[in-house]
Amino acid sequence: MKSVHSMTYAVAVAAAAGLLAFGTAQASTQLGHGLRMYFQMGGSPGDASTLPREIGAKDAAQALGVKLISQYSSWQPQNMISQFRQAMAASPDCIEIMGHPGNAAFTPLVTQAEKQGIVVTAGNVPLPKLEARYRANGFGYAGTYLFKGGEITAQSMIKAGHLKKGDEALVYGVFAEGIRGQSAKGVVHGLEKAGLKVFKLNITDAVNNNPSQAVPTLVAFIERHPNLKAIGTQQGLVTSFIPQALKEAGKKPGQITVGGIDLAPSTLAGVKDGYIAATLNQQLYLQGFIPVLQCVLTKRYGLEGMNVNTAAGTDAKAMIGKLTPLIKKGIY
Amino acid sequence: MSETKAGYTDSPRVAVTADATPLWRRFKLESLPIIVVFFVLIGVYITFAPSVFLRWPIYNSFLITIPPLMVLSLGLTLVIAAGEMDLSFPAVITLSGFLFAYCTLHLGSPWLGLLAAIAGGALVGAINGFLVAVIGIPSIIITIGTSFFWTGVATVLSGGMSYALQNLAEKPIAAIFSGTLFGIPTEALWALAVAVGIWFILNRHRFGEHLLFIGDAREVARVVGINTTRERVKLFTLMGALAGFSSFLLTIQNLNYFATQGQGMLLSALAAVFIGGSSVFGGAATVVGSFFGALIIGMLNAGIVATGVAGFWVEVIVGLVFVIAVVLHTVLGSPGRMKQLRARLSLDGMLRRDKNHARW
Amino acid sequence: MFRGKDMDKNYKHIIRAERLCVSFGKVRALSDIDLAIGRNEIVGLIGDNGAGKSTLIKALTGVIPPTSGRLFIRDEAVDLHNYSVSRAHALRFETVYQEKSLGEKQPLWRNFFVGRQITNRFGFINVREQRRIANEILQRQLGFRGVGIDADSTVSKLSGGERQGIAIGRAMYFDADLIILDEPTTALAIKEVRKVLDFVRSIKEAGRAAIYIEHNLAHVHALADRLLVLDRGRIVADIRPADMSLQDLTTFLIEQQQSREVESVA
Repeated sequence: MKSVHSMTYAVAVAAAAGLLAFGTAQASTQLGHGLRMYFQMGGSPGDASTLPREIGAKDAAQALGVKLISQYSSWQPQNMISQFRQAMAASPDCIEIMGHPGNAAFTPLVTQAEKQGIVVTAGNVPLPKLEARYRANGFGYAGTYLFKGGEITAQSMIKAGHLKKGDEALVYGVFAEGIRGQSAKGVVHGLEKAGLKVFKLNITDAVNNNPSQAVPTLVAFIERHPNLKAIGTQQGLVTSFIPQALKEAGKKPGQITVGGIDLAPSTLAGVKDGYIAATLNQQLYLQGFIPVLQCVLTKRYGLEGMNVNTAAGTDAKAMIGKLTPLIKKGIY
Repeated sequence: MSETKAGYTDSPRVAVTADATPLWRRFKLESLPIIVVFFVLIGVYITFAPSVFLRWPIYNSFLITIPPLMVLSLGLTLVIAAGEMDLSFPAVITLSGFLFAYCTLHLGSPWLGLLAAIAGGALVGAINGFLVAVIGIPSIIITIGTSFFWTGVATVLSGGMSYALQNLAEKPIAAIFSGTLFGIPTEALWALAVAVGIWFILNRHRFGEHLLFIGDAREVARVVGINTTRERVKLFTLMGALAGFSSFLLTIQNLNYFATQGQGMLLSALAAVFIGGSSVFGGAATVVGSFFGALIIGMLNAGIVATGVAGFWVEVIVGLVFVIAVVLHTVLGSPGRMKQLRARLSLDGMLRRDKNHARW
Repeated sequence: MFRGKDMDKNYKHIIRAERLCVSFGKVRALSDIDLAIGRNEIVGLIGDNGAGKSTLIKALTGVIPPTSGRLFIRDEAVDLHNYSVSRAHALRFETVYQEKSLGEKQPLWRNFFVGRQITNRFGFINVREQRRIANEILQRQLGFRGVGIDADSTVSKLSGGERQGIAIGRAMYFDADLIILDEPTTALAIKEVRKVLDFVRSIKEAGRAAIYIEHNLAHVHALADRLLVLDRGRIVADIRPADMSLQDLTTFLIEQQQSREVESVA
């Protein structure tokens, strides 16, 4: 398993590097010259879970000569739908979407777009039914396997914290949203399989919009459960605020084992200080780069949709040395 | 009939207002500035992204996505005319959407769902009205509270889940409210109908006049015999019902209920009213202004990104458009203020000084 | 305007209050008010700020409901539960307030008719008719001819005196039997003050009644048939100006106030 996905990762990085070189060397005959792509970035411009995606997409667009139009939906499914309508109306060559609204909501619209000859591909949260249907037209997926990613995070937490049967754990996740909730459910599953007692807390809209609001909620929960041994989440911005919550609750690093996702700057600091034991590196940069690549390859050569698991594993401490300079630039 | 009383017809009259009505006002076109801004923006979009804005599809997508926002802005125009504020309508979008989804999925009747959506919104509104008019809590404060409350209720009822309503796709209710008529999306026609209705209510109906006086000066409204309590309860109830209808339009057009729908519509709906020219102080509101304001706000994001402006700059431009529109209204709205501004900037003064120095 | 048969019958007092009280919660604004206004009387109402003059006016014209007491209009008892501003207007009472007669941002055609709009069955206002009548009132009765002010002008364009003119014109149009004026000359220029006083005089000449609240003793002494002095919610004096010169009146009021101050210290 590990060798397969590290192979995919290696291939992707090689392709990226190759294209960047190719692109800078021969600007006038870029492979994607003349193509226009609408891209759903996810949150708001510059936020920690969106920035690497933006940078990856822009790099790919620049290297390949694609005109990129970014859309920001503040993670609201309803906005993603209206923005897709607007994207369709502009008749671009490709559109990248995210799976938050679900297969049912997207099916009529994607069907229409496909009829118009637009290449549609997905990232961050998958749309399995649509992917299966339109793979031949270039419908791919660049992101983590949500449930699996959650499980992997759970397993890393168990190993790092030596968690055992009967220990109490909190999973703080977006349980309320169908597909997106799969990642948090994966963490729950992984922890319960090892016999831990898992409490589930739902991330509310207020926290989704303003992640610092997670801190008081977490502090309250920690104080209410003095035997808490672990906290797991799969929401990137919330992960970055967990160290602060632990400090405010008076916990020392390692007293509670934390597993999260993404490499926001404060998450990395938390890893360095020992507050966070494991964080799933989604390689958000690839979630921006690969769909643009997908667009060009399908439009030019008719190649089918690629299903790329962008997750790189959870070994946080090892990552730090290698990746810190890149992370500072927003490439992670 | 009383005869003319002494002292009123024999004294010579002196013209009171020295500044004449400005030329553009004489044409009595309501809210002309914002209409001009609207067409200017369209011109900008066409200039920078002709492949998108010289074709029909983008306008078609606007006619689909803007109506729910517009219905909200139209209701808010009445609320703001009365000097009140309602910040709870996003919660109604969430709650009424759920009621519609529930009736469709579990009771098998989308028409009952439409009724439930409007009635649910009206109930939220009536409670708002009671708290504001009878208990006396300022509306801007209490509707923040009721917003949290009803959003929470909706989340509890829906379990935070989204519901697919694809089975409505072929039904008549979908054709009537999210279909196409002569190439125009029907939701746009419904929004237009609401706009016309609200215009007549505000400008030609007794109720609208009561709202204007209540917004102008509540004490005046009371002494001329307006029942400010009853009218304000009616006002908030109407706003709630309109928000319910907006929620229905949004839900049926997506054929999906999202547990978080309504979030993020708060500022857009309010911005549409204010750039349209209605006064936040109450007593003066324009439905035509809100109509074009909603069009502008609804098109702004898509228009800007289509012209290729980088994502980070979009908000800067949105803010600029808002500020320019509001400044235009404030300055053009009162000729006196224009004079003050010119005097303060001493443009005439500067020119005179330069003549003395014979600079040119 | 419709003139009911009972409006023309013979009556002694256009309005009479018996032991009228108004309380706001624990605060007693008016206590045991007994007053009667004759058919063709101008009654001046004077008193210090906070004495309750405005509250009394509002109670008499249906703006606020009295807490207890009785009201007789044209010698007939009034059901206080049903009394409202609209009812008062229907009974031909009109009020001219100092600052709160008119909606500032609203055009004149609205201000003339608000509260009693000319509407169709569904409540839609006949704007054309209201505009027409408004223009007529402005030009014929108030003399605003060719001055740049018409039915569409908003009140904010008018000077203080012109606004009073509009409020008075409104009262005249609706042919009131009792006109109540709440400090109508405050903040007006001298020429405009004269117009208001002429108007009050003309009410008497036309055979109607008026209640006139005024701070300026000279004005009210010259015009009123009777003067009621209000202090802390009670009527403490009922004087006929004919029996007391302006100077004596001033002295009387000062003595009143001093004795009150002594009372409150004691």
